Amino acid sequence: MSSHAHANTPAPDTGDAVPGYYEVMETAVRELLIEKKVIGAGEIRQMLEVMDTRTPALGSKIVARAWVDPEFRARLLANGRATLEELGIDFFEDTQLIVLENTDSVHNLVVCTLCSCYPREILGLPPDWYKMKPYRARAVKEPRAVLAEFGTVIPDDVEIRVSDSTSMIRFLVLPQRPKGTEGFTEEQLAALVTRDAMIGVVRASNPEMKEKSR
Amino acid sequence: MTQTENLVKRLPTEMGGLDAGPVQRTEHEYAPWEKRCHALANILDNHKIISTEAKRRGVEALGSEMVEKLTYYERWIVAFANILFQKQILTPEELAIKMQEVAARPWDETAPCGETSAKADKGKTAA
Repeated sequence: MSSHAHANTPAPDTGDAVPGYYEVMETAVRELLIEKKVIGAGEIRQMLEVMDTRTPALGSKIVARAWVDPEFRARLLANGRATLEELGIDFFEDTQLIVLENTDSVHNLVVCTLCSCYPREILGLPPDWYKMKPYRARAVKEPRAVLAEFGTVIPDDVEIRVSDSTSMIRFLVLPQRPKGTEGFTEEQLAALVTRDAMIGVVRASNPEMKEKSR
Repeated sequence: MTQTENLVKRLPTEMGGLDAGPVQRTEHEYAPWEKRCHALANILDNHKIISTEAKRRGVEALGSEMVEKLTYYERWIVAFANILFQKQILTPEELAIKMQEVAARPWDETAPCGETSAKADKGKTAA
């Protein structure tokens, strides 16, 4: 009987007329935890709002600031978490943030071979490919080949360092400031810093320079 | 080397150094329930009920077949349920009854996180 009522119920704008098994499980677990007062009724909604504020734009601002402010960059590299906490960014308990600086001789790449650890506080939720097998399996074994799949070719004389994240230690790549951006404002610089550049799979680039050099 | 030896040496979630195909640069708009599942993980961590590390172990404990076949947040919610049973915060029976109840409802009443879900839903429909 219930299945009939179900089929006739107009679907909301999700496009899914019938919720999936796991979606039902998520709703059931959440509601039971609220009924039992294990978690508060408004906590999930509040957390969703907090999560919406965590986007790669935050990371881009941090990178741009590090490019223009050597003192900030030094502090960021010395203690990522403490420096960002000064800017009001909250971190999960015990999570450390290590900022890895790209130079002319070193290119950094971040992976989580075990699961999907990621600096969510400043980049938000990771892209799917970061959580899937090919990237996790191969980044530590053949980083140059993986980078090439992202269109990033690193010269052989540049060392590639791959950092494997854990639940306690997260990494942010500080890309190199693109050439030809000397007169840029901090805001203009931030616009050049993509999420992928902060994972290390691409460089930060200045589109104007690219056009000129080709 | 025996076939089972690899199962002992490498946990299902341990992927570093394995052979695999090219990186498919896939991305998807997170479904509302996936976001809620992520929020739930953060809340359970804040309440010191399930830490990030415990969550990872919970996923590992699902075994290689489920790790391979379930999607990312499907693994999470099943792992959470198992851990909550172990901690005797929930019982399997309670969850089964609640799931029946939820599945029988008109679905638009099941999202108490209304505004956020509606926003995300629109993105999904457009995509």
